[in-house]
Amino acid sequence: MNLTDEGSIIERCKKGDREAFASIVQHYMKPAYYVALGYVGRPEDALDLSQDAFVNAFRHIKRFDSSRKFFPWFYSILKNLCMNHIARTRRRQEYSIDEMAEEGPVPIPVETVDPEQNALRRDLEARVGQALQRLRPKDREIIILQHFQDYSYQEIADLLGIPIGTVMSRLYGARQAMRRELERLGVR
Amino acid sequence: MPEDTYKPLLMGYLDAELTEIEVLRMEQHLEQCPECRRELGEFRKLKEVTQNMRVVTPDARSWEEYWSHVYNRLERRIGWILMSLGAILVASYGVYSLVARFLLRSDIPLVVRLGIVALVAGFCTLLISVLRERIFMARMDKYERIKR
Repeated sequence: MNLTDEGSIIERCKKGDREAFASIVQHYMKPAYYVALGYVGRPEDALDLSQDAFVNAFRHIKRFDSSRKFFPWFYSILKNLCMNHIARTRRRQEYSIDEMAEEGPVPIPVETVDPEQNALRRDLEARVGQALQRLRPKDREIIILQHFQDYSYQEIADLLGIPIGTVMSRLYGARQAMRRELERLGVR
Repeated sequence: MPEDTYKPLLMGYLDAELTEIEVLRMEQHLEQCPECRRELGEFRKLKEVTQNMRVVTPDARSWEEYWSHVYNRLERRIGWILMSLGAILVASYGVYSLVARFLLRSDIPLVVRLGIVALVAGFCTLLISVLRERIFMARMDKYERIKR
């Protein structure tokens, strides 16, 4: 997860070097996407918002202290964008005239890394996706990073700028919630 | 250690993220605590259910094009700023010319001058109103994701 000499790359970004910023984007685009997916729950929105967050980060890069890690700072920008997006989506639903036609939450697409697929497994994937969608954004975020993308505790702590102890306590709460949701959907 | 301290550590134990000393301490605690053993069993089941599952990620092409999308947005934002600056300059010059060439000239009848003021003010009001409505509708459009 380490970007060699991130500080000097950030210094180049501060001078307007877009190639340097490209290396930052390429290094962090996947965690950015997963964090956004945790918040907004829709893959296409997550991709869009994570890209917008990089644009905002580049615009304000001069304010960033290059002796610190980039991602926790970027994370606050991304989180704000996601929260605004959630608020906007809620407003849009409130203004919707045709409430009956309002679409329900779409399950987060989940797949098994296993070529031998069967109907039962696909049904389980759909339920897991539904359970994931029903979690609070904060819980969903940590579950996606650790449970579904295999980030280590240290990597999550570095990404979110929190201590490892907090990673464990957040994961504990999130897994409890996930278990409850799966039980509600008949997965035991 | 108080009971609550062990709860988050259960996660580290489950995911093999604890140090050797922490593992020993956790195993000693598990021997004495049926509640933590029960919880550990349930978390293990959750891990089994979701074993080998991944959230579906965008395809390889989306990742390849990711930077170019960010780059295009950066470029477009600069374009918008320049265009807005230009529009403000041109509009300011337009207002100045309008005042200097028509409104302050006494040889043009007052009715015509008032008419020009009303025409320009009306046009600007309509333009702003339509723009505001379009922006508002775009934000509230619940069908925006539907591809035609």
